[in-house]
Amino acid sequence: MSTAVERFDDGARARFGAHGRTFVRENELLRHPVYSRVLHWSVAAFFILALLSGLAIYTPWLYRVLTPLFGGGPMTRLLHPWFSLGFVAFFALQLLNWLQPMSWTPDDTRWMRRLKEYVANTDKLEPEYVDFFNAGQKLYFWAIVGSSVIFFISGVPMWFPRAFGRTTAAIGYVFHDLAALVMLVGFIVHIYEGTAAQPGTFHSMTRGTVEKRWAWTHHPAWYLHATGRQPQDDYEAAVRRQAGRSAEGGTPSMPG
Amino acid sequence: MPTGTLQVKAISGHSGTVPGAGVQRAEEICKYIDVTTCIGCKACEVACVEWNDMPFQQTTFDNTYQTMPSTAWNYWNLIKFNEHQREDGTLQWLMRKDQCMHCEDPGCLRACPADGAIVQYTNGIVDFQQENCIGCQYCVSGCPFDIPKFNSTTKKVYKCTLCSDRVGQGLEPACIKACPTGCLKFGTKADMRGLAEARARQLREHSGFVHAGVYDPPSVGGTHVIYVLHDITKPELYGGLPANPQIPVTYTAWKRVAKPIALLLSLFAAPVAFFHYISQGPKEPQPQPPGQEVPR
Amino acid sequence: MTNGWIDIKNTDLMLIMGGNPAENHPCGFKWPIEAKLHRNAKIIVVDPRFTRTAANADLFLQIRAGADIAFLGGLINYAIQNNRIARDYLVNYTNAAFIIKEGFKLPEDGLYSGFDPSTHEYDKSTWNYEAAGSSGRGNAPAALPPNVAYDVTLAHSRSVFQLLKQHYSRYTPEMVERITGIARDQFLKAADLFTSVRKDGDMKKVATIIYAVGWTQHSFGTQIIRTAAMLQLLLGNVGRAGGGVNALRGHSNIQGATDMAGVFDILPGYLKMPAPDDVDFATYLKRTTPTASKPAEWDSYNYWSNTPKFAVSFLKALYGEAARKENDWAFHYLPKIDRKYSWVEIWDDMYNGHVRGMFAFGMNGVQVGPNSKKNIEALKKADWLVVGEIYPDETSEFWRAPGTTPDEMKKIQTTVYRLPCAGFAEKDGTFVNSARWLQWKNIAITPPGDAKLDQEILSLIFLKIRELYQKEGGKFPDPIVNLAWNYTDPLHRSFVELAKEINGRALADIADPTGQTIRSGQQLPGFAALKDDGTTLCGNWLYSGSWTEAGAMTQRRGTEDPSGLGIYPNWAWSWPANRRVMYNRASCDPSGKPWDPERRQVWWNESGRWVGNDVPDFKVDSPPKDHMGPFIMNPEGIGRLFGPLAAFQDGPFPEYYEPIESPIANPLHPAQSINPVVQTFKTPLDKYGTPSQGFNVVCTTYRLTEHYHYWTKNNPMNVELVPEPFVEVPVELADEMGVKGGERVKVSSARGSYIAKAMVTRRIKPMQIDGRKTYQIGIPIHWGYRGIAEDAGRTELTSANLLSPTAIDPNAYTPEFKGFLVKIEKA
Repeated sequence: MSTAVERFDDGARARFGAHGRTFVRENELLRHPVYSRVLHWSVAAFFILALLSGLAIYTPWLYRVLTPLFGGGPMTRLLHPWFSLGFVAFFALQLLNWLQPMSWTPDDTRWMRRLKEYVANTDKLEPEYVDFFNAGQKLYFWAIVGSSVIFFISGVPMWFPRAFGRTTAAIGYVFHDLAALVMLVGFIVHIYEGTAAQPGTFHSMTRGTVEKRWAWTHHPAWYLHATGRQPQDDYEAAVRRQAGRSAEGGTPSMPG
Repeated sequence: MPTGTLQVKAISGHSGTVPGAGVQRAEEICKYIDVTTCIGCKACEVACVEWNDMPFQQTTFDNTYQTMPSTAWNYWNLIKFNEHQREDGTLQWLMRKDQCMHCEDPGCLRACPADGAIVQYTNGIVDFQQENCIGCQYCVSGCPFDIPKFNSTTKKVYKCTLCSDRVGQGLEPACIKACPTGCLKFGTKADMRGLAEARARQLREHSGFVHAGVYDPPSVGGTHVIYVLHDITKPELYGGLPANPQIPVTYTAWKRVAKPIALLLSLFAAPVAFFHYISQGPKEPQPQPPGQEVPR
Repeated sequence: MTNGWIDIKNTDLMLIMGGNPAENHPCGFKWPIEAKLHRNAKIIVVDPRFTRTAANADLFLQIRAGADIAFLGGLINYAIQNNRIARDYLVNYTNAAFIIKEGFKLPEDGLYSGFDPSTHEYDKSTWNYEAAGSSGRGNAPAALPPNVAYDVTLAHSRSVFQLLKQHYSRYTPEMVERITGIARDQFLKAADLFTSVRKDGDMKKVATIIYAVGWTQHSFGTQIIRTAAMLQLLLGNVGRAGGGVNALRGHSNIQGATDMAGVFDILPGYLKMPAPDDVDFATYLKRTTPTASKPAEWDSYNYWSNTPKFAVSFLKALYGEAARKENDWAFHYLPKIDRKYSWVEIWDDMYNGHVRGMFAFGMNGVQVGPNSKKNIEALKKADWLVVGEIYPDETSEFWRAPGTTPDEMKKIQTTVYRLPCAGFAEKDGTFVNSARWLQWKNIAITPPGDAKLDQEILSLIFLKIRELYQKEGGKFPDPIVNLAWNYTDPLHRSFVELAKEINGRALADIADPTGQTIRSGQQLPGFAALKDDGTTLCGNWLYSGSWTEAGAMTQRRGTEDPSGLGIYPNWAWSWPANRRVMYNRASCDPSGKPWDPERRQVWWNESGRWVGNDVPDFKVDSPPKDHMGPFIMNPEGIGRLFGPLAAFQDGPFPEYYEPIESPIANPLHPAQSINPVVQTFKTPLDKYGTPSQGFNVVCTTYRLTEHYHYWTKNNPMNVELVPEPFVEVPVELADEMGVKGGERVKVSSARGSYIAKAMVTRRIKPMQIDGRKTYQIGIPIHWGYRGIAEDAGRTELTSANLLSPTAIDPNAYTPEFKGFLVKIEKA
């Protein structure tokens, strides 16, 4: 993308970095700077609010459970589009922020072909070409982008049906729902992947850092770019160190 | 005449059974509008504004006798004026009182997600309960007759109540009471339908309107407001009355059936993830401390 | 109305013309619809515009405004040519068989015999019946002969019927098309439909004619209505349920105003106003009491022969004890009118400096017009103006009419007194509707603020003036000082007392016609009890019977209708004598049997009396063999196809004349295009336009259902319904001007201009008038320079009557608000 975008992102990162900090330990790498983390959690917060307020209106079975959260039905309805706008706005910044690492490469296509192995946890390490984000993450990301666009395009006529006509609103309604369902599935998977499925990942989005170990396991190419070292070499070294230490009965030291 | 209290038959956005439904059934009521004897005097418009204590609004001249382009949140009853040049060169000036049709299968109620914002009484009246309205305006897109109107100040939607307050006390709606020519009548659906059929027959046999007929569209289950039209084959001439009013599939097949199923399917992702975790386990950063894999 | 609103439901056919009842009488229009629904009755609408009434018609014809006589004359011609006339009715109940004096000339050249070009008046002595046994020649005195020559075969060349036939033979379908713009085939369709009620000599069916001010507001308005009446006589439709000639009154109580002498030349109950030649009461009575004029073998009730009873009782009501036989019942107190003092003349007099002040109550003179500019200028010249109104109106604010500069305003010296009055819902009293019903209404709310009832204001003024006369005397204080004012509270006279006074009471013990004694002080049972010896008083003989000893008939609300004809004899009270259809004797054949046995109104009972569902409008014991005519108010006892002598100023038969401002010369007689006796005015503001000056569009004015005259622009609900003035313009004319709907146009007449938005419509079509393409436009009258939208600056500030001409009908003095010439351009 243009350099203007990059300049904007760099500036934003710098400004947010000035107000926050990330502590990187010896055996860690900086994965998500303050700016990315603030954006992520802003997006997440608005998404959850939009999701819950949306689900309240989605079906009568959830209406009575969820609307009280927002102060009743009318307030739920009033807030939902504003939650969504918040979501869209922060996500738009995140889109600029992550445009480069999220762009699709032939490697991602290769990755997708072995999705089965990924799900089945067959390999200990990710293939050496997996960079800052893997294809699954990118897929989710771009699904959000697509859904957001659909949300926006369908949502505005639902917001102002008189201005767009009854048919537009009625069709938009279905697309809005479909987008929400896609997001819902993605969201569930995302939470799972970001927490239980990959220990250390959640920390990267809270404190900003990952263990090097985590990096070479899940994003070898990024490890290479970030450290200038071969992930496979460092991994094997770590394995050897661990084997030795294991024989000594000591605790593993931080990999260098 | 339908009298007695109003019995709720259906409620919008409500899970489970309708409280009190079927406990007592009153007769279905109906408003009869003979377009062929309407003189466009707007007494019904005034009666509606006055009875419902609606605030006045400023209108502007729009090259027509019609008071405003369409009904408004504070103007529920509007006569639509249309000049129609017939094929034989003669002119017709069609005047149709536009208001809520009180469909037997109401698109607004189908679309409404808010619990209790729209109720349908057993007598056929479809009524908005503004205290429960969330202002989502799904009813606006659900209605094939462009009736519900949003008030951006109160954030609520409003429409003709068929004077449920009057009807509930055994009175006729205000518009009916005001009509000077008797082109508006009120009674049971069966009676009004009979009257309308007879009038349509008279128009066919004595006034040369061979296509005269009764507008009571089955696509919305029939309506509790019916029209006698000079030409039932061209309802669009009367200020855009739809020939075949449809509730959008959105609010029928999708909302009623597909949506809940789709939601359940989506939520199925959660147990899948859970079972993935307990069966496949997490992807730990490698190398992990040594352990032993057991085949269970 | 000869009949009544409800009675319209009994008709088989309606000709609605010169009126727009669906818009201006929406409540009454339920009855035409009842007739449609329950009798399959047809509606023919003839109007310059496709109105909301036309929207309910079976047949609509667009006519050029003002061409009505041509159309109706064409119908008369068609009915005679196709023998669709009621022959028995015609011979026995009209003057068709009467023979007219020799020397009478039909107006082939536009002029009847006797026209004096120097005075623009007719010597009407030849417009008379031939006396039986006379030669037909010679100069008999200008009075109807007591014994009229007649020919029941209708073949006599000077019979009214033959003259009528000859006169209207010129109104061919082709001529109708040239004048009215109605295509020949359309006219024939309407003519065939209208006269179809007399197809094959059938007398059962009935047609009605319904009209309003679209007929009266012409320089020949009375004659349009007469043409309709003649057509109805010709078809035997008068006096019958579902028939008649029915004037729809445009205000809730205009009928009452007329009955109570709202016009300068009558006293209450249509007694004639004294003239300077009426040197005493006897002379007055001789002049105003007709004597019967009929064939020797026939009988005539001649009800106006009771004039002395009505007049004496009226004078007793007016002057009480001061009216005595010895002083001619104080007849000399009454003003004598030496000339016309009609509406337009009053303003003309004020403009010319003769009228120095004006009380304007219940009307907005500037807006009412015509030629509003002249009225505004007239008020500027007045010394004072008292306006009693419920709103500040254009009249009380004439000094700020648009175009008046601040300098000009400073020069206006007129003192304006504005008196806040009570509205109609703020007082009780009666309304008299078009059907002649007197209906009592109760006060709904008390007047706000300082507002007072009109009668209270008038009492205050009168009592003050009387005090001055009592103290200071004057030239002729008697009529003021002696006016009977015997009310319980002289300052706040109750309408109950007034209504009872109008009904009349006995001043001594008297015997009523049935022999019963009416005690002194008792209310009279009806006008039959009136006396000419001073033993009764009665404010208006027509209303006698409205408040009897039994109480207020006007307050009755009985809904019984035993006949099913909608007579409702116990609902309120209608004049005369609570009969609902006038001249109902004519609903029977000469032998006294109803023409239609299914619509039985009255009939001759074998017991020797006229009885029926309605009150017989007849001498109840006059047997059919006596051949008494059913039209008892005419000295002839029959309906007048020929209006003899001074009945009309402009001819015994209506002739078509062009409006004062017309796009063409009259095709019947181009040299005498307009009404020869029409009255126009001569001030610099009384200008009349011609096509050669560029005024070539025909303009008509009217009301909308959404508004009531010039009041409702003060009511937000009405303003919401129709917010601002507009001009209805045919699509084709708008295209020529390059004007779209909603754009401003300027309409100009010789007198002024009017700006409003254009309503471009297909409801007015271009017309071919005498072979020339002619446009019509229409202007609703409701706006001016004072109202909600006007005050907020949201509308144009011009009044429609800035355009209309000061020309008046010589018979009824009504201005020509319909069918004048304008030009129109993009503003």
